Amino acid sequence: MKLTRRTAIAIAVTAALTPAAAFAEETVKIGYQLPLTGNTAQYGQDFKDAAEIALTKFNASGALPVPVEIIYEDSRSDAKEGVTIARKFVDDDGIVGVLGDFTSTVSMAAAQVYKKAGMAQLSQTASHPDFAKISKWQFRNITTQDQEGSVNAQWMLDQGIKKVAVIAEQTDWGQSVVKGFVEPFEAAGGEIVYTEFFNRGLADFRPIITKLENNTPDAVYTGFFYEDGGQFLKQMKQLDAGIPVYSTSAAYNDKLIELAGDASEGLFLTATFLPTRMDANVQEFVGEWSKTHDAAPGQFPAQAYDAVNIMLSAVVKAYPEITRESLRDALAETTDFPGVTGNTSFDENGEPLKELTKASVSNGMFVEVQ
Amino acid sequence: MSKSRLIKTGLVLAAFAVVPAVLVGFDKGYYYQIATLAAIFMLLAASLHLVTGVAGLLQLGHAAFYGVGAYVAAILGADHGVGFTVGLPLAGLSAAAIAFLVALPTMRLMSIYFAVATLAIGQMLYLVFLNWVDLTNGPNGVMLFSGINLFGIEIESDLGIYYVVAAVVAVSILVLNRLSHSYYGNALRSLREDDQCASAMGINVTVMKIQAFVISSFFAGIAGALWAYTTGYISPNDFHFSQSILILTMVVVGGLGSLPGVLIGALLLILLPEALRSVGDIRNIIVGLVMFGSILFLPKGLFGEVSALNFARRLLGANWSNDEGQKGIGWK
Repeated sequence: MKLTRRTAIAIAVTAALTPAAAFAEETVKIGYQLPLTGNTAQYGQDFKDAAEIALTKFNASGALPVPVEIIYEDSRSDAKEGVTIARKFVDDDGIVGVLGDFTSTVSMAAAQVYKKAGMAQLSQTASHPDFAKISKWQFRNITTQDQEGSVNAQWMLDQGIKKVAVIAEQTDWGQSVVKGFVEPFEAAGGEIVYTEFFNRGLADFRPIITKLENNTPDAVYTGFFYEDGGQFLKQMKQLDAGIPVYSTSAAYNDKLIELAGDASEGLFLTATFLPTRMDANVQEFVGEWSKTHDAAPGQFPAQAYDAVNIMLSAVVKAYPEITRESLRDALAETTDFPGVTGNTSFDENGEPLKELTKASVSNGMFVEVQ
Repeated sequence: MSKSRLIKTGLVLAAFAVVPAVLVGFDKGYYYQIATLAAIFMLLAASLHLVTGVAGLLQLGHAAFYGVGAYVAAILGADHGVGFTVGLPLAGLSAAAIAFLVALPTMRLMSIYFAVATLAIGQMLYLVFLNWVDLTNGPNGVMLFSGINLFGIEIESDLGIYYVVAAVVAVSILVLNRLSHSYYGNALRSLREDDQCASAMGINVTVMKIQAFVISSFFAGIAGALWAYTTGYISPNDFHFSQSILILTMVVVGGLGSLPGVLIGALLLILLPEALRSVGDIRNIIVGLVMFGSILFLPKGLFGEVSALNFARRLLGANWSNDEGQKGIGWK
């Protein structure tokens, strides 16, 4: 008993000291807050995997004479934990910049801390319309819905679609999907015949689909993630609605096709990342990813991969005089960064400007629409 | 100095001298954040203690009243320029008012039916936060730019914020302590044990239940306002059902009916996950095991009700009468 307790303490102490001892002083440290457990853990785990691929490649490339280290902290997509982690990162003088969080709400709560302390925060997914506007310290690597909405609006008008029904999930992001689409579409002469929000995880879309059909739109514009998207598309097919569906990059995920099967055929969407694209950097990322995963990477891990690389290239620019201030300035200067989600520049608010690809589902695969 | 005064002084010193001294010593924002968060959740657990622990009403929607307080404070602050000194009591009162309205039809429900009704109320309020976009800004949440402003003095330092939160929480807990250890608290306990018997003794069961529910929600609203003022951004997710369960767990693990117990429970469930951060993903499992173990081996809680009552009586200066013949049963 005595021995085991002593051993246990020894192990605990060793475990606690190892990370501190293993890295030399001059390591550049980046914090990454993300959900590694809880309801959204699957996203956070993917981000971590993508970040590790980017970091390993970077450290092996010798772009910097010192290694870069990423410190991951699990926020469980809980604002309480997100804020606590933010305070922890700010306390660590070695940390010069932060990636994350996953959901907008946690990112926004943590952003209040980073704003006060003066630390650059780059989220791969925070889509809240006000996130990047919080302060000069916030950046994101996800296309805004203003951008996706206007591309989709123009695309539909080009196809001769004049009357559109809009449905989106009841989240900050869903709100921005509707606003981002409706404004340019109406400005260009289109008509919105029906708008509806649904709560995430809705099992039965049929009442919404029936109401939608009664308004006889030429097409439906949707703001959903793949889980809800799968349900919606299946029930559209069951009810034989026969209305073309347009969507955003959030629906872009192989699991959508898996869930919806045939019903996903002919879905139109905008995306920034297509794993089938033959560009060298895309194929390198997909190749590395496939070593440890069964499926090709989706949009979000690709955004995380690029976010990490954007941060790392800012570190290179700021080196050797890296401070939180100089790293922020280097991030803000990012122009045409060649990532797997297309070329990225930040505007004066820290919003990314990206090129969007038009895609559709054909024979069970996402293909680029020329 | 009597033992009771010693304990009281000790607790006050711990909250207002020892903890701040340690915080200043470390000078880490991280520790300030945890201390503030722990204080807020101690108040949440203490307020739920009154209705679930003392009065025995299983309340599954406590986080919703926490949310009402947070939203009132944040919306008043962000859109109408109402500061901390007015916003804080208004947040509590609004939560109490809504609790009163929903209590009227539900208080006659018994046991499990009442629990399900509070579950529904919690969910309804959550959906209101989420879907009443014009008022609550829906899923976008509310950003509150003004911090804590006390009579014209902007409290910005971490230490100052801790002191304000600790003071509000300490006063609230003091009130809850007096409520649960008094004739009033005993009357509530009698409802929990046998409400028909209590009613036969002349206690107005429904009125008492409504009062306990409203008071409990008032303090949950105060806790919500503290969360809004200290974080600067709130969204519906902060007040989800899972938070109600977290608070309920604090009460059960700490000890149903025991105020010191639920405070320890709240501290444990806020501090333990943070202390275990370094072990990685399995920390949730360890926290779960600790909870499971404490229910299994300490079903009355970490600090059970009987010990808590003894402790409280001693604090109030009353002791068991220990006369020789055991004739004078009860308190001196």
